[in-house]
Amino acid sequence: MTDSAANARRKMSRLEKRNTLIAYSFLAPNFIGFVIFTLVPVIFSFALAFMDWGGGQNVTFVGLANFRYIFKDFSFTKSNLGIALKNTVFYTLMTVPLTLLCSLCLALVLNKAVRGANFFRAVFFFPYVASMVAICVCWNFLLMKTGPVNQILNAIGFNMKKSWTSSRELAIWAIIIVSVWRNAGYYMVMYLAGLQGVPAELYEAATMDGANGWQKFTKVTLPMLTPTTFFCSIMMVISCFKIYDVVAIMTQGGPGRATKMLVTYIFELSFGGEGIATSAQYGVASAVSMVLLAIVLAVTFVQFRGEKKWVNYM
Amino acid sequence: MSATKKSFKTMTAGQIVLSVIKYTVLLALAVVALVPFVWMISSSLKTSVDVFSIPMKWIPEEFHWENYSLIWERVPLMAYFKNTAVLAIIVTFMQILTSSFAAYAFAKMSFKGRDLLFMCYIGTIAVPWQAYMVPQFIMMRSIGLYDTIWALVVLQSFTAFGVFLMRQFYLGIPNDLSEAARIDGLSEYGIWARIILPLAKPAIATLCIFTFVNTWNDYMGPMIYLTTDIRKTIQVGLRRFIQAYSADYNLIMAASLCSLIPVSVVFLFLQRYFIEGIATTGMKG
Amino acid sequence: MKKLVAVLMAALMIAAMASAMADTTLTVAGWDITTTPYYTAIKEGFEAANPDITIEWVDLASQDYNVKASTMLAGGDTTDLYCVKELSDMQNWAKEGLIVSLSDRIAAEGYDMGKYAGMDTCYVGLADGAQYALPFRADYWVMFYNKDLFDQAGVAYPTNDWTWDEYAAIAREINEKTGAYGTHYHTWLSCVANWAVCDGVNTLADGEYADLKYFYDLYQALEDEGVCMSYDELKAAGLHYSGAFAQGNIAMMPMGYWYASTLIGYIKDGTASMNWGITAVPHLEGVAAGSSFGSPTGIAISAASANQDAAWKFASWMCSEEGAKAIATTGTRPAYVSDAVAAVMASAEGFPTDETSKAALLPTAISLEWPIGEGVNEIKSIVNEEHTLIMTRELTVDEGIAEMEERAAEFIKK
Repeated sequence: MTDSAANARRKMSRLEKRNTLIAYSFLAPNFIGFVIFTLVPVIFSFALAFMDWGGGQNVTFVGLANFRYIFKDFSFTKSNLGIALKNTVFYTLMTVPLTLLCSLCLALVLNKAVRGANFFRAVFFFPYVASMVAICVCWNFLLMKTGPVNQILNAIGFNMKKSWTSSRELAIWAIIIVSVWRNAGYYMVMYLAGLQGVPAELYEAATMDGANGWQKFTKVTLPMLTPTTFFCSIMMVISCFKIYDVVAIMTQGGPGRATKMLVTYIFELSFGGEGIATSAQYGVASAVSMVLLAIVLAVTFVQFRGEKKWVNYM
Repeated sequence: MSATKKSFKTMTAGQIVLSVIKYTVLLALAVVALVPFVWMISSSLKTSVDVFSIPMKWIPEEFHWENYSLIWERVPLMAYFKNTAVLAIIVTFMQILTSSFAAYAFAKMSFKGRDLLFMCYIGTIAVPWQAYMVPQFIMMRSIGLYDTIWALVVLQSFTAFGVFLMRQFYLGIPNDLSEAARIDGLSEYGIWARIILPLAKPAIATLCIFTFVNTWNDYMGPMIYLTTDIRKTIQVGLRRFIQAYSADYNLIMAASLCSLIPVSVVFLFLQRYFIEGIATTGMKG
Repeated sequence: MKKLVAVLMAALMIAAMASAMADTTLTVAGWDITTTPYYTAIKEGFEAANPDITIEWVDLASQDYNVKASTMLAGGDTTDLYCVKELSDMQNWAKEGLIVSLSDRIAAEGYDMGKYAGMDTCYVGLADGAQYALPFRADYWVMFYNKDLFDQAGVAYPTNDWTWDEYAAIAREINEKTGAYGTHYHTWLSCVANWAVCDGVNTLADGEYADLKYFYDLYQALEDEGVCMSYDELKAAGLHYSGAFAQGNIAMMPMGYWYASTLIGYIKDGTASMNWGITAVPHLEGVAAGSSFGSPTGIAISAASANQDAAWKFASWMCSEEGAKAIATTGTRPAYVSDAVAAVMASAEGFPTDETSKAALLPTAISLEWPIGEGVNEIKSIVNEEHTLIMTRELTVDEGIAEMEERAAEFIKK
């Protein structure tokens, strides 16, 4: 090894160090706040998953007892965790593609010169802006036994005899409909912002190559939107797994346990609920959120692994 | 995309049919989006007893406009509005500042532990707040932030969401730009301020809207952290109309319609930034 | 010089004494403070009797009272006293040492626990058997009825010794003659099937639910005949019982006594206009007439309170005869029952003046809506979940009851 090579390496590593320092300085303002106010409590709640704690001075280490408790007699039709897991996964699988599709279509249409585009964009974003409690009460009304939705469905030959939220099969669809309705405008905004990043010359080039509208869409627009789709799908999977407020206001997890979700279950274990009285089992609640985290991280990890394959960054 | 508005005269029959279909679908969707709001308006003009009468009435028998003055008298709604506005503005400002800064490191620099750190950020988004609410409360109280607006500011200013969103947009900005600037001798801070930030206007507008709306509509955070009535926010204030032994949904609807106004203004004001962004990003390479 | 020191010393002592005598301020957490009149009545009554203590109510949102109060207690907040909304939470606070045992003070003062008609028993800590809270309100269930609709149908007002069969017959008759709803069941388990516990023998935590069948069958029959509104629509529309009865097209509604003060308020401000009365809830053959069930609302002292003596003074006053009278003036039923208190309640402004209504204020026996004990919380969740399935007819009554029993079995102490 010659001296100059070692010197070069030292120089490199010094440069690397300096670079790392600068990177950290960029992170610092957000990261310090993030660590103190989010990461520390989150780590604390991880620890709680292995403790028995009810809010008082006594914290006892119980090993895996909390996990044994939630996995006891595990079944997708009988145990609370199993049912919550099944409902949450079903909800996520339905909501994410539906919302992505709706929001992409809206964004594509409204990105072009449509008369009244400003008006339409505002209208579709409106549902996201309105207060949750008002929205959910309202949808409950629209989806009730004799409500407008059922009236229309009955008129075209369906036989709707129940409110959506009173049926074990339809209650979860009520939640899905409201979620898609509420979030389509939100992700539409994401896509609109993403569409601005598509260089106009790509379309010009495509036109010159004789591409038609559909080809432009599949060969230019969709690939160029992949970073947005990537972001939206990850955020949506996470937020779907954490669905709570719509359920809490519209169905309270019912009828029976038909719309019990993971976070509904976590909330019940911590604070009870209407007619639900198992409260202050913070350790067990943390164990359930560990399960939730494990699933979401696994899904996200797979998405990130695939990032290099299908996401086009310039 | 060259969006040329064609007048009807120059359109072919097929194009006319297509545009008729387009507008019909758009209008139908707009109706779906707005129907609940029509119901909200109608309910806000009824008495609390009539709101839930079955079968539902779209047009109230009697218009109770006084509901809109009642909401300001029954609870200190003006103070709630002011508190929420102050909170939302501070949080939005902090969020944009810190996120756009941190995202630069994640998107445009390479350093040790970058991917691990980033997964850590994403990981915390996946932990439901309900799971660490109590530990967080204990901490906030011990540092004296309980029952102050600052508890909510620090809670919502450093979220991973903003960092992730900005990172995605930064990744879409060609690296050649920053490389060229580095060769020109611009420091990393300079690149961030002069090159990246101006290009990220649509992203900033988007983050701005989302942060503002989320802060404006947050219920659980203010519910837990604010106790003194005069410091509460609008969403907590709304629920004051739902009580243990009665519920005035007419007033809730009236108040939530009022609370829609400021957020809509913010949206309308900002939307031109992510629509007209195309002219300013200068992505010509 | 010595004089100066003496003067200074004296001044200091006076200042010290003054500060020792200065007002103690107690902060007390409750819900719907601004709109519930008894909070003010209690504050005024207590402060008049104890000028050195000031009461400051802390208003926590009623919907999320348990969430917020539990978080505050776990976070070591210095609020002195907490009203108890849910028994299960209070049991947990006691177990975790977040609220203090009152047993020693009760024993030392010889505090009279005999006037609560047993409502104090649910505040006994499961872990150690100590008393952790005192009840200040006890809402037992009564039947509210709309006299106007009874008059219109030409049906005699119900009496305090009626049975469930008579009740059903009256509901049907009024429905037939006036077209109004004969009765109204709010969506809760309490309104539909809790009546099985009125005999004082059955409880909802005993794992056997065959005794609920009579009430579910009765409900479903009335629903099918259109005598009452359907659960499905009520639940979906989220119709609040307070508004439902106030509309004036419902003849009878079993509800907790707390509704009286809401209704009085409605009539005062013109939201409702009707003549109404209350009777005891009906009874089954073999169960004493006038039996009901109820649950108390209590007050507990936080372990983090720096004013334990003053806090006890307040809690014990609030739950005494004096406090009970203050509460009763607002049309609310205190836990402390005596003839004097009942007289105050009956004379509350807007309360019906007939003898039946007055007599209904002193029921013969009150069972606890839910008992306390290990596993009860889990059973409560199960029974409520199955209740929604029976009510939405996703399960038949028999299937629902079978599922209740099957799922609850795990938590029944052998």
